[in-house]
Amino acid sequence: MTTVELALRVFIVDDEPPARNRLRDLLNDCSDQLALEVVGEAGNGQEALDKLAEIPADIVLLDIRMPQMDGIELAQHLLKLPKPPVVIFTTAYDAYAIKAFDLHAIDYLLKPIRLGRLFEALNRAREAVPVQTEVLRDLLPEPRKNLSIHERGKIHLIPIEQVLYLRAELKYVTVRTAEREYLIEESLNALEKEFNSRFVRIHRNCLAAKAAIEGFEKGGEENESGWMVRLKGLDELLGISRRQQHIVKEFG
Amino acid sequence: MNSSRSIRQNTRPDTLPNFRNLGIVLRILLISNGLAVLQAILLANAWTDVAQNMMQIATLLTPVLLTSLMLLWAAQPWLHRITYRQGALAVMAMGAVLTLAIYEFGGELYNPVGGSKYYFDDARYALLSVIVCGILLLYFRLRAKMLSRALHEARLQVLRARIRPHFLFNTINAVLGIVRTQPKKAETALEDMADLFRMAMTDARDLVPLSREIQLSKQYIALEQLRMGERLSVEWQMHDLPEIALIPPLLLQPLLENAVYHGIEELPQGGSIKIVLRLSGDELRLTVENPCVERGTSASGTHGAGDFLYEHHRSAPQDAGKKQRSNNKMALQNIRERLDLLFDAEARYKVESGSNFYRVEIILPYVKVRPS
Repeated sequence: MTTVELALRVFIVDDEPPARNRLRDLLNDCSDQLALEVVGEAGNGQEALDKLAEIPADIVLLDIRMPQMDGIELAQHLLKLPKPPVVIFTTAYDAYAIKAFDLHAIDYLLKPIRLGRLFEALNRAREAVPVQTEVLRDLLPEPRKNLSIHERGKIHLIPIEQVLYLRAELKYVTVRTAEREYLIEESLNALEKEFNSRFVRIHRNCLAAKAAIEGFEKGGEENESGWMVRLKGLDELLGISRRQQHIVKEFG
Repeated sequence: MNSSRSIRQNTRPDTLPNFRNLGIVLRILLISNGLAVLQAILLANAWTDVAQNMMQIATLLTPVLLTSLMLLWAAQPWLHRITYRQGALAVMAMGAVLTLAIYEFGGELYNPVGGSKYYFDDARYALLSVIVCGILLLYFRLRAKMLSRALHEARLQVLRARIRPHFLFNTINAVLGIVRTQPKKAETALEDMADLFRMAMTDARDLVPLSREIQLSKQYIALEQLRMGERLSVEWQMHDLPEIALIPPLLLQPLLENAVYHGIEELPQGGSIKIVLRLSGDELRLTVENPCVERGTSASGTHGAGDFLYEHHRSAPQDAGKKQRSNNKMALQNIRERLDLLFDAEARYKVESGSNFYRVEIILPYVKVRPS
């Protein structure tokens, strides 16, 4: 198949304006030898998600240390895009992350960034495939701060503290907040592992937010002796399976 | 360099202690009385005698001790000028003479009629006071030796903490980012950086004028503002501030660095660091307050306030997070240690942290160009 070499679309994410400046200068220098185009830049994760939903990019140069949402979490959300970009991380100093990147052969650039290194990384990125979610999750032993869903062409972030419960149904997991429900394509077991400090399993298919537990009531469709849990801001009661009855004592 | 001498008297092994320092005075009182208790126990035949003996010793010891301390306080500037050997001899001679004078003056109080022979007691007490002086001087000399080593280590630590890789590389990157469009600004930034590093390499024993530290802190803030732009603002409040006051170098700047790294950088909208410098009485108070990420009920935010410093809210790998926290702790601990070494009990250090702010206050004695 013959393809005309299309210009690489590059997007820059860094919270520091001079650092973005620097990357723009260097990309400009690269453009003599490599067809590329800077399609946009963002100063934080949310801005990046909004912009990238509108203008897709092939490569995202992503700073690791940013306020609110760091680069590694953002990279995970970016994977929800219809055509996820290849991420090249940038960092001044993150001993732990660098070790992990080397281990997983993920490309990264050390600040101050050198023209030669950037050029190499861009060339390699042409053939590269996006890093897998599982690998990114390994890089980040701490839980994410947001869940993300792809909805009407946009990545939607759901702050984890707003989630009341997570319930598995068929191949999706329902994410319930006080306002509405979302569907995400993740496994309940993985979610339980990631957020175990925040959620407790009340049923084979359901995790409830510990902080939202308001009280317990007798009842349930199976038999009268079962327990139901009441969550703050929700009318519906959630059934607790027989095996998980002990949580009534722990949280009651 | 007159300005740098004041600090050395506590720390150089080859100088007498600063007899005007509260910590030193307290140590002298404690050790002398400790020795007296020891003597009281040695002289006693039964435990019940100890209190009695102690009373007897104290009747002579206390006036001698208090007058000596007053004399030493007065003689401090002079003692400071002469050599250690001369000073030590002078202190011992003063001890002996004072003891004898008070003993003679006290007359019957110390020597009831029919007591032991006069001259024997004279010689005995004079000797005793010389020995006590000698013990005290030896103690202070050993302590100063230990402290000067600790100070040396502290200096290295400061240096290490100062060249925080995160700051160094990000700043260089930022300078590179503006060098094409704003070369003048880039030049200033590099000059500021040179000043900062030069200060980090100065002798931590020397005190520097407060105005110098303020200037350095402003240069540091300018470097951070280069990176963070409008997200970082600083509010300086200075009340009746004598700019000739002397403080240990790099006392304020590391506090600002912590405020930036653990406070402002974590906040998407940034924030304002408040720096209050004021003189109250004989004390210099430095306060640095910064907003930080709300430590609400989030899963990981279970650490208490108080001394634990910042709960670092960066969702970075835990190892790295821990390391950064310990870096932060190290910088603060180093400041605390240096204050202890330099001012003993006269400097204090307070940390206060709420759910969305963090405040450090340092209180240290107001040292002018020369203490005497």
